[in-house]
Amino acid sequence: MRTKQEYLIRYKDGNLYCELADIWIDPSKPVKKALITHAHFDHFTFGCEEYISTKETAILLKERVGDNIKIKTFEYGEEFKINGINISFHPSGHILGSSQIRFIFAEEKWLISGDFKLQKDQTCKQYEIVKTDYLISECTFGLPIFKWDEPNKIANDISKWITNSPEKTSLLFCYSLGKAQRLLNEISQTNFKGNIYSHGSIHKMNNRYRELGIDIKDTIKIENKKKIDEIKGSLILLPPSLSKGSYLKNFKNIQTAFASGWMSIRALRKRSGYDKGFAISDHADWDGILEVVKKSEAKNVFFHHGDSEALSKYLVEKESINVLLFGK
Amino acid sequence: MSLKKFSELFGDLDSINSTNNKIEVLKNFFLSNDPVDNSWAIYLLTGKSNKRFISGRYLKNLFSQIYEYPHWLIDTCYLKVGDSAEVITLLLKNKTNSRNKKLSNISLNELLSETIPALSKLNEEEKNLEIKNLWETLPEDNHLIFNKILTGTFRVGVSIGLITKSISKLINIEEEIISHRLMGDFKPSIDSYEFLINKNINLQELNSKPFPFLLANTIEDKIFKNSINDFQFEWKYDGIRMQLIKRSGNVSLWTRGQELVNESFPELVEKMSHIKDDFVLDGELLVWNFKEQIAFDFSLLQKRINRKSPTRSIQIKYPIIFIAYDLLEINGKDIREIKLVNRRIELEKYFSKWQIKTDNNITDIFKICDLIFPKDWPDALTYKEKSRENNTEGLIIKKKTSKYSSGRKKGIWWKYKVDPMQLDAVLIYAKGGSGRRAGLYTDYSFALWKDKELIKFASAYSGLTNIEIKELDKWIRKNTVEKFGPVRSLKPEMVFEISFEKIQISKRHKSGIAVRFPRITKWRKDKKINDADSLENAYELMKKKS
Repeated sequence: MRTKQEYLIRYKDGNLYCELADIWIDPSKPVKKALITHAHFDHFTFGCEEYISTKETAILLKERVGDNIKIKTFEYGEEFKINGINISFHPSGHILGSSQIRFIFAEEKWLISGDFKLQKDQTCKQYEIVKTDYLISECTFGLPIFKWDEPNKIANDISKWITNSPEKTSLLFCYSLGKAQRLLNEISQTNFKGNIYSHGSIHKMNNRYRELGIDIKDTIKIENKKKIDEIKGSLILLPPSLSKGSYLKNFKNIQTAFASGWMSIRALRKRSGYDKGFAISDHADWDGILEVVKKSEAKNVFFHHGDSEALSKYLVEKESINVLLFGK
Repeated sequence: MSLKKFSELFGDLDSINSTNNKIEVLKNFFLSNDPVDNSWAIYLLTGKSNKRFISGRYLKNLFSQIYEYPHWLIDTCYLKVGDSAEVITLLLKNKTNSRNKKLSNISLNELLSETIPALSKLNEEEKNLEIKNLWETLPEDNHLIFNKILTGTFRVGVSIGLITKSISKLINIEEEIISHRLMGDFKPSIDSYEFLINKNINLQELNSKPFPFLLANTIEDKIFKNSINDFQFEWKYDGIRMQLIKRSGNVSLWTRGQELVNESFPELVEKMSHIKDDFVLDGELLVWNFKEQIAFDFSLLQKRINRKSPTRSIQIKYPIIFIAYDLLEINGKDIREIKLVNRRIELEKYFSKWQIKTDNNITDIFKICDLIFPKDWPDALTYKEKSRENNTEGLIIKKKTSKYSSGRKKGIWWKYKVDPMQLDAVLIYAKGGSGRRAGLYTDYSFALWKDKELIKFASAYSGLTNIEIKELDKWIRKNTVEKFGPVRSLKPEMVFEISFEKIQISKRHKSGIAVRFPRITKWRKDKKINDADSLENAYELMKKKS
């Protein structure tokens, strides 16, 4: 067996790093060359000399970092070479533009799953099964208590939640990139036909999605000091950062909810402080992670992003899959 | 009504925070379902169904056995979820969704009156098979209710008071009457529900009603400008505030929370019913140390509060007393309008009469509160400081000329509580919480210095805000030295101010001291561990207070 130093990809300063190509994956500090799996804030940082991503991620990234970054884009499945290593992006089904990244060097395949899900999502490309020798996978929801309901069921629950309280304004908190657009897409297919407002940070992402050809229902940008009567019975999408503090004082007679996979657990739901929780996630559930591990045919698996102890033990004991530990 | 409708009600109640909305939801539920199912719903929601058919451990083992799931994996999930019934519900989702069995549409009544009670008659093998069958045929969104009823852990954020309020609204009859009807052995049936929503009130129901309680305010400095002679002084007991009512021969015990608790204290009800007069008394219920004539800790009282129909041995082990401090009504005459001093004279008069005239001695369960007579305000302060010695919380100061009005009226009654004792201690262990605190480290142990060693002296879990709990949880995960099951030993680094009510010698603890009601009152981020207190400081505190 090789030592950790000899792996093609390893942890360095808490980030995934490929030494042979001198390239970082989703680094949390400025570096020379950064591969970006997707445009969520915890997957990139400002100030890298060069970014490499899919076309869609590049557009979303520019929306967040600004236009004057140096960014190289590739299509899904298109191979490119850095220092003799073949690299390619593949759809990961997490949000628009999100990708897994495959490395091939000397006939050895490595796959970084990025954040991923297998569930249906009409706002991004479906997860693609990619075969590999080494798999580096996220495991945010790596326990069997996590089993997602179909998104249309959740959307119907949300629709019912709003229409059951016509005298109230329903505030639904969700991540402004990805989750918000997916929810809008799903909710537009339910019986809820009232007005939908969205916060500026969500509104601008909706526009980027539309420009990239994704069908997103029209929403009204929420302005401060809306007349109470005007927004009664409607839905307002807001980023979770606004759930605490004075922002909510702009509204009267509201009900609040949070859309997140964590909301499947009652204790977390209660503790969250929201009236209601909708368990919908853009990450894979337990079955999803197991399916990806198996179908990737990886002989060696690493986990990051999440508590992997139970998942690792289960794979070793029940599925005889070799789970390795990264040295952080 | 199908179980599904009740599941929906459960989901709604669980996700509504506003009391008014909960009442509205309940009211509509009662309106749209038939009486027998309504009676079962009330039975479940008021926590009368806490019978445990199988334990949480049994449930987990059964699941593990049927679906070949490793125990350790279920245990790991439990740490995140904090409730056996819910863990199994979530795991079942992973197992029964691909089944092809026909779903059952069992009613709440059928499930509770037939299916579940029938389980107890089966042998283990049959029982396991039946539970498996129910898991596979019950619709998925009924699993949580089913598992919770099985394990006797059905609890929602609905108090008996809320049920009372919603029925009261439904039929437009005062809450106290509904409380009275809900008292006792509520057997779910059409009749019991019809009785509950009967719009005709009988006389006996009217007779049990308590008066609104008068509450004390926290002391304000301006009171010291008044003459000490304007006030009556009493000890502030740490028990359950109650009105003891006897009208037309019937005794009722009402807590301040409008709960009728006759069933928890039958010996008091029995004794008081021998008194010839009718009356309404305001006072405090305590578990009493008759030898030393002081109250036992509140923790002993807790052993009595939630126990209905206590056995004789429980009654002897935790002897109660009702200490009356006011007389509000005597033989049908409402005397709340007369001055406190005069009510006190009446109270004393009747108490001595009852002592002599009652067939059996009432003083082994009933007395009137002693008064204290401080010379001046500094003297009152001295009394207050002494209150720990007789297990009281401080003083209650009442204006002698006051009427008995309702609520927290200003300027009539004051509470003058003794300050808590405090030490700065170092966090050394953390343990995972359960229930609402599942998945977070929320049970903490604290240590004091002894020479160069940190010795554990108290455990506490309350006092931090949710934000602080999250922050501390993060720190705990990063600064764990060792794990022992659910407990982590931690790098000594964090200092907290711990407040407590009492400190005494204890041979059972390594530190040699035990404290009462320890709680976190401040996260002392400004302090290093060397600034924390030592055991010696604790001993000094003990000396000073005794």
